Amino acid sequence: MTLDDFAATRDVPSDDWYEAASELKGSGHDFFDWLSAYDDSDAGVAVVARIWSVRDRHGAMLRTRVAREGGLLPTLTTLWEGAAWHERETAEMFGIGFTGHPDPRPLLLPDGFDGHPLRKEFVLASRVAKEWPGAKEPGESVAGRKRPPGVPPAGTWGS
Amino acid sequence: MAADVTIEWGHIFRLRVLDVGLACCAVEFAAAAARGDDMAAVGARPFAPEPREANVMVISGTVTDKLAPQVKRLYDEMPPDSYVMSFGSCANCGGPYWDSYSVTKGVDQMIPIDVYVPGCPPRPEALLDGLAQLNERIGR
Repeated sequence: MTLDDFAATRDVPSDDWYEAASELKGSGHDFFDWLSAYDDSDAGVAVVARIWSVRDRHGAMLRTRVAREGGLLPTLTTLWEGAAWHERETAEMFGIGFTGHPDPRPLLLPDGFDGHPLRKEFVLASRVAKEWPGAKEPGESVAGRKRPPGVPPAGTWGS
Repeated sequence: MAADVTIEWGHIFRLRVLDVGLACCAVEFAAAAARGDDMAAVGARPFAPEPREANVMVISGTVTDKLAPQVKRLYDEMPPDSYVMSFGSCANCGGPYWDSYSVTKGVDQMIPIDVYVPGCPPRPEALLDGLAQLNERIGR
């Protein structure tokens, strides 16, 4: 087994998400490993799932991109019931939806939580209210600190 | 001698510790507290079976906003003249999760803290010192 076996990622259009997963299951990839997402800025939200074949000791990654606003994917819970919690978490963290999910409630966030915290534009209130505590000495300048792409600059955050 | 003073005297060197272990500091706390003779040297007895049988609560680890009400509930279930120790950076102020969307930035926003033990994680000696200081303060 080489590193490529672990790194192989198949990109599919969101319309083919369910079919691609079905094919993987048909080809012996029977163990659902995980499903998550990442904020791919202008390209939308990228959803990634990893499926493992117990028999062949082989993993496959599936990736698709959905719209930032109102992005929808069909649920994989009909193929692997274990996907249910992963999809619930991904939905609340990134603000996308999974159609046909048997129980689409939020999983981890407290009741009444506003926003989708793993999206880049989500404002972390502490960064507005507090000085960055990572300086080696108290009062040391933090001017050179880098802001990740997609994160709004501090001056534009809230009131 | 007034009754409350008597009760406080009764607490000196009789700290019955309720371990509220929520993250990796809980492992450090358990490892340190399992040294029974060290704990006895500062007058503490760890691992109270329930809040009603404790008079010191040690919150060790990361408190999240979702879990915070449960920590408050444990505090409310303890006897009214109880003490609270915040053990480790996360419980003190959020620690490395200072800007997280989900972590409570200091458990003192919710319940009064008597002793803060700094460190990420604190050393076992820091726990013992914190308990000793608490004893000293109760006796004063």
